[in-house]
Amino acid sequence: MFTAYVEHPTDCSFEGQDNDEKILLLLRAHPITNLKWIIPAVLLFLVPFFVPLVFQFLHLDLSTIPQTFEIVFLIINYLLVLIITFEGFLNWYFNVYIVTEKNLVDIDFHSLLFKNIDVAPLRNIEDTASSMGGILNSIFHYGNVFIQTAGASRNIDFHSVPRPHHVADFILDEAHKIYGRGRDAYHHPD
Amino acid sequence: MPTTTPTDTLDFEITMMLLKVAILIILVFYAIFALIVVRQVDLMSKTLITKVSPILKAFSIIHAGFAIGLIVLAWGIL
Repeated sequence: MFTAYVEHPTDCSFEGQDNDEKILLLLRAHPITNLKWIIPAVLLFLVPFFVPLVFQFLHLDLSTIPQTFEIVFLIINYLLVLIITFEGFLNWYFNVYIVTEKNLVDIDFHSLLFKNIDVAPLRNIEDTASSMGGILNSIFHYGNVFIQTAGASRNIDFHSVPRPHHVADFILDEAHKIYGRGRDAYHHPD
Repeated sequence: MPTTTPTDTLDFEITMMLLKVAILIILVFYAIFALIVVRQVDLMSKTLITKVSPILKAFSIIHAGFAIGLIVLAWGIL
């Protein structure tokens, strides 16, 4: 349910999916990429524990602030922790890359209300490439997959996905299957 | 022996009043943000339909309700 690499996922569909279209691969960014919001959330969570120490260090008297204000500040702090965590999770969970029997689908939510969906038919795929560089990438085995499509259509990139080389190979294999089917379809040996 | 003059008390009250207004403004913006998040989750759930979507939707609605309730609470206790 919360994995970054799912082959033949069940109980999952996407907007614009045809009735006869099956999802072969569902990808998300590697979970380790969530550290970029987990670390600030943890630090913010710890802030109230250090406030008395900071006040003491600055020779300020915390008791002059009414207790009701302290409570409200505390609530606001933990609300911020909550919203950072929730937004981080939403962005990770819903930014997905999908490989179906027919298409490649890249669903992106950039900001609060900005949605971008790129769809490329598998038959238009010409080339795939994968790259993996950096310490975290090497340790946790994730990287980018670049998919070149034919014609003027936009290329599709999968960012920070697990097993990038395998994914690139998987997509190319599926494209070859489609291409093979297409060639046979137009082959008329009289 | 330190004494509190009426001017000091007035200054403190004005500071607290300004702080209260600032907190309420922050909470109003937070509540608006929470409502946008509800819409965002709705949009996301319609784009990628999974078993988790209804739970996330419910959570975002509860969160927005809490954010609105907090304005009332802060107005009352501050």
